[in-house]
Amino acid sequence: MHDRSRSNEEALKLSAAAAGYDERLVFSDLDLSIARGRVTALCGPNGCGKSTVLKAMRAMLPLREGGVFLDGKPLAGWAPKALAREIAMLSQSPSAPDEMTVADLVNLGRYAHRRGLARKGTADRQAVAAALAATDLAGLAHRPIGTLSGGQMQRVWIAMVIAQAAPVILLDEPTNHLDIAHALDTLSLVRRLSHEEGKTVVVVLHDLNLAARFADDIVFLKEGRVAAAGPVARIFHAQSIAEVFGIHCRVLSDEETGRPFCIPLAARGR
Amino acid sequence: MTAVAEIPRAPAHGRAGRLAALLLLLVAAAVTGIALGSSSMPLDRLLPALVGQGAETDRLIVWGLRAPRVLLSALAGMALALAGLLLQRATRNPLAAPAVLGISDGAALGAVGFLFLFSDAANALTVGIYWQPVAASCGAAVFAVLVAVLARGAGGGPVGLVLHGFALGALAKAGVTLLMIAGPVYRASQASIWLAGSVHEARWSDVAVLTSLMALVLPMLLVLTARMDQLLLDDHSAEASGLPVRRTQALLMALAVVLTASAVSFVGAIGFVGLVAPHAARLLIGARALPAIAASALAGAAMVVLADIAVRLAFAPLEVPTGAATALIGAPYFLFILFRTGRAHA
Repeated sequence: MHDRSRSNEEALKLSAAAAGYDERLVFSDLDLSIARGRVTALCGPNGCGKSTVLKAMRAMLPLREGGVFLDGKPLAGWAPKALAREIAMLSQSPSAPDEMTVADLVNLGRYAHRRGLARKGTADRQAVAAALAATDLAGLAHRPIGTLSGGQMQRVWIAMVIAQAAPVILLDEPTNHLDIAHALDTLSLVRRLSHEEGKTVVVVLHDLNLAARFADDIVFLKEGRVAAAGPVARIFHAQSIAEVFGIHCRVLSDEETGRPFCIPLAARGR
Repeated sequence: MTAVAEIPRAPAHGRAGRLAALLLLLVAAAVTGIALGSSSMPLDRLLPALVGQGAETDRLIVWGLRAPRVLLSALAGMALALAGLLLQRATRNPLAAPAVLGISDGAALGAVGFLFLFSDAANALTVGIYWQPVAASCGAAVFAVLVAVLARGAGGGPVGLVLHGFALGALAKAGVTLLMIAGPVYRASQASIWLAGSVHEARWSDVAVLTSLMALVLPMLLVLTARMDQLLLDDHSAEASGLPVRRTQALLMALAVVLTASAVSFVGAIGFVGLVAPHAARLLIGARALPAIAASALAGAAMVVLADIAVRLAFAPLEVPTGAATALIGAPYFLFILFRTGRAHA
């Protein structure tokens, strides 16, 4: 499924974009492009506009200026279902009624593929089953979600996003409430989705080392602008982290994975 | 991930069985409602009368008086229960219901205002009776929009919405009371309908109009089931899945307004059916929209038919408003979920 010849092309692009809430402008004149078939981590200090950028890329937040482009086509004026078939998104704190079963919730991811009155078809069933299998949830398919642990629940949400079968997936802090084991699980799954199925994934991450370990590209955001963007090996160094987060740190490289990691030393000026 | 695994089948939940039980309850209640009254009728007289045989007076009582009353109760109960279900889905607020949000009283104000404006000195309407649901819909719509706008502006979460609803409902009720007093004296005899809700003046024409309205609205609801299911998600996830959230919410609210107004223009603001019936349905068969619609409708119908039987039996020969009986069950239940919701959002 993964078309290597097209990788490194631009899948999603914000161009001279400005967006915000009410009176507050979160970013303006922002240019940002996301490479196809890769995992891009969006990192930056609190309030730097990571979530806002993600919403703008899903056309959930009207842009005041500029545009969002998917495969070069502007995203303005798309029908909601057509948009959902191209871009799936998981927000920071999704919710659904406790008594809903895992399979029923994952099935909600199929909405964009259903026409009018059509009932659940074979394609839907297979997509749900595949999503449950990929997230190792087949055994829990008929459990009410209220009985699941936090880690299991996060996998259910990701299964719903997988069932949506969109080539682009946006994830807003998917490891937020997870312990390290579940965070690793989740991000390994995200990486598999991208590398085995060619999905373009944008993931907002707080933990720099998780970003460095699992992402192909990193975008550092600071105060509504791109401070640095590019492949992890090129972007992830002490100087850029110091500039974006205002901390002193040492960046080393793991011998086995070749991935950089950072050891925070102190906040700058302390 | 190309493996085409099939999901193991869901264990049988007995949904169909529970729906059948609800239907049976409704039928039993309806038959009881027709059999009982100021003169109760044993089965050996009731059955012939139902199929158009037996004594003339029995036929008259069954077909002229009690059948329309029971049918009107059932239809109004369905409409109010479905309105409640739609409001609870649209607002994701377990406390939402037509009476709680002031929409029932808004509809009553519309209907009473219509009677006030379009009655001549001889107590006859100067325009067709079928305009009454339209007037009630206008009243209900005004109050629905007001409560939505005020609650959104002020915030305050699920309980805040309810507070605005109650305040607006009180305002509409005051309007109804004023119109009852200012209007012709004979209208005062209808006070029990417009202030508390009652089915005691049921006529076949009412049943016919309400049946047609339900026949219009039900297919629309069936088309909306997939959207209602998506609304079980939070706003953000629902929108990400491809649902136009605001448009869907507005559509559900509009249908709830029409359903409420349809019921209220014939039986008045019978309270708490729209609150309790969807909850009962959810407890019985879960949150999925299609079975929830069926179960809410059946539960709402049974609730009003049973409430009417209760007030007829307990207070005969007085005509106690049906709404008093539904409130007797509904209000404590409302307090219970208010307590629970308040704690959850504390």
